[in-house]
Amino acid sequence: MPPKDAHDERLLIAAAQKDPARFTELYEEHFERVYAFVARRLRNRDDAEDVTSEVFRDALANLKSFEYRGAPFASWLYRIASNAIADRWRHATREQGTALADPPDDSAQANPEAVESRARLFRQVATLPADQRRVIEMRFAEGRSIAEIARQIGRSSGAVKQLQFRAIQNLRGSVETRSRAKAKKPVSKNG
Amino acid sequence: MANNTQSEQLDKIISALLGPPGAPVSRAEAARAANMTLAPVFELIRDLRDLPRPNFKARLKADLERRASMASTAKAAPEFRVSATPYLSVRGASAAISFYEKALGATVLSRIDQPDGRVGHAELNIGGAKIYLADEFPEIDFRSPQSLGGSPVRVHLDVPDVDESARRMVAAGATVVRPVADQFYGDRSGQFRDPFGYTWTLSTHKEDVSPEEMRRRVAAESQRAPKAPAASPEKAANPVRGGFHTVTPYLIIPHAADWIDFVTRAFGAEERFRAKRPGAEDIIMHAEVKIGDSMLEVADANPEYPPTPSTLLLRVNDPDAVYARAVEAGATVFDPVTDHDYGSRGGTVKDASGNRWHIFTPTPGSNLFAAFGSVTPHLYATEPVRLIEFLEKAFGGEEIYRAEMPGGGIPHAQVRIGDSIVALAGGRGPGPYTSMQSTLHLYVPDTDALYVQALAAGAAPIQPPADQPYGDRSAGVRDPFGNRWFIATHMKDVAF
Repeated sequence: MPPKDAHDERLLIAAAQKDPARFTELYEEHFERVYAFVARRLRNRDDAEDVTSEVFRDALANLKSFEYRGAPFASWLYRIASNAIADRWRHATREQGTALADPPDDSAQANPEAVESRARLFRQVATLPADQRRVIEMRFAEGRSIAEIARQIGRSSGAVKQLQFRAIQNLRGSVETRSRAKAKKPVSKNG
Repeated sequence: MANNTQSEQLDKIISALLGPPGAPVSRAEAARAANMTLAPVFELIRDLRDLPRPNFKARLKADLERRASMASTAKAAPEFRVSATPYLSVRGASAAISFYEKALGATVLSRIDQPDGRVGHAELNIGGAKIYLADEFPEIDFRSPQSLGGSPVRVHLDVPDVDESARRMVAAGATVVRPVADQFYGDRSGQFRDPFGYTWTLSTHKEDVSPEEMRRRVAAESQRAPKAPAASPEKAANPVRGGFHTVTPYLIIPHAADWIDFVTRAFGAEERFRAKRPGAEDIIMHAEVKIGDSMLEVADANPEYPPTPSTLLLRVNDPDAVYARAVEAGATVFDPVTDHDYGSRGGTVKDASGNRWHIFTPTPGSNLFAAFGSVTPHLYATEPVRLIEFLEKAFGGEEIYRAEMPGGGIPHAQVRIGDSIVALAGGRGPGPYTSMQSTLHLYVPDTDALYVQALAAGAAPIQPPADQPYGDRSAGVRDPFGNRWFIATHMKDVAF
């Protein structure tokens, strides 16, 4: 899914501000991004899902107060996410009875390009052939072993490994095609 | 077309990188596999580890749709408001009501007097906030602060103009516990005790403060704190001294003064405190330096405290530059800076006092060092698993990461204690560094309890808990691996 240009995004936000039901369009556009941003900063999937939910619920509840000032909508979502993560961290330290202190520095991970590329990868997984996608989801998102997957989908372990191999090759292929296409594009893209 | 060997190799890498959560990851094996033919997919696999669970996106979407439709239809729906109301037990409720009318502008919403003259129940409105109160009834165990010798509950009252409210409160007869002042979290507030034993926080919200700004202010404040002794009993009740974290490396080393020069030049350390031995100006009894967000303590070794140089992991943005500066400042080269496949770029130097510094930066996207501060102590043990167990039992540590070698050694593990990380490594049997023993300083809420817990977990006593002239209560133990731990609770700030 190509990123919407600023004008489209503005219209989408304005529409959702008038009619909250339109918010799901913004959600569809930004889900992978926010999840990619959040997941790297938290230790487990339950936390990542909690915080991602919190971010979009907050964004929905406060959408009226969002003012378009040129920065992409995603950076507003990232800010909500950073605060939610910081809160969680502060809460955790308080529960342990220790002092208010600096949360882990995440500057090394705050690379929007890297977040974007992970988000693209997640979307790419959804476009894989069904059997490959299922194997990738079970293996990575659900953390299952080859043997478990083999049992579940009724194939041999060898076959599951083959599906996994082909899926990774497909994903790798599309990553490369994209970066080549990107390299050819003209540099100026302000509009 | 995929052949069997390739898909097997790929799965080896994936298995090594995935592992079930919390299970050991054999990085060595992953690295070996990666070096074979499949290195380019390494990053892709790492990114896939964050893949969201398949039904999560749809679930959250359904939830948002439900909320969105509620937001558009249920605007005027009546709302059930949850509220909590303080119910004060006072000796002399009638007088208290008059006082709150004068001091806080309270109005009486309702009042029920008992035949015996006591107030059975009264409801006050203070600027829109509700307060219930009644006379004390010892017969039903409803006792006032006067009977109990104080109240642990404080009433927080948001008012439009805290300075005006404070004047009124004091004029009516309240005493000042903490004068009105701007607080780091954006409120202006003060505390006042009324004649009936209750403490009120009067507060006016002045500005919204972001979490980052709050942290900055707290840090700035805590640096000033030691110079403003005991201004506030609350700050003093914080068990961790201002600017410190739960774990602080304590370097007991030769040439401490030269060492401070070294860390200042090499790592931009700031000296925060220095106590010299009276009559021997070149000997440091105790000094404190800050590197990034971490404090380090240092003292000259002596016969009672022989040297325990340490290994420290120094997290920086540009390891190559810092490494070069360290060497220029006199450190000797130990390991040059290289990229490490487990997610960092770094190299190791040794300073003139014998400490080893691993200067590193996490690889962008790597999560492994997310919990690290600027300086993280690193311990070695011949039996690393036992060391981890000790840290858990003795200090309530939590293992958050462990890598295991095929043969059983642990090249890297992380244990969280309070807000800090202790890194450690070790093999089966003695290795090149297992003789290194460190000294660490641990700030905890209750020194006495933790001292007992540490002894129960197998530590040997060095010194029992005692109050120190510098405001800490502290104790010392030696763990079964020879590391020294000073356990301390900061009781009060003392000016030096």
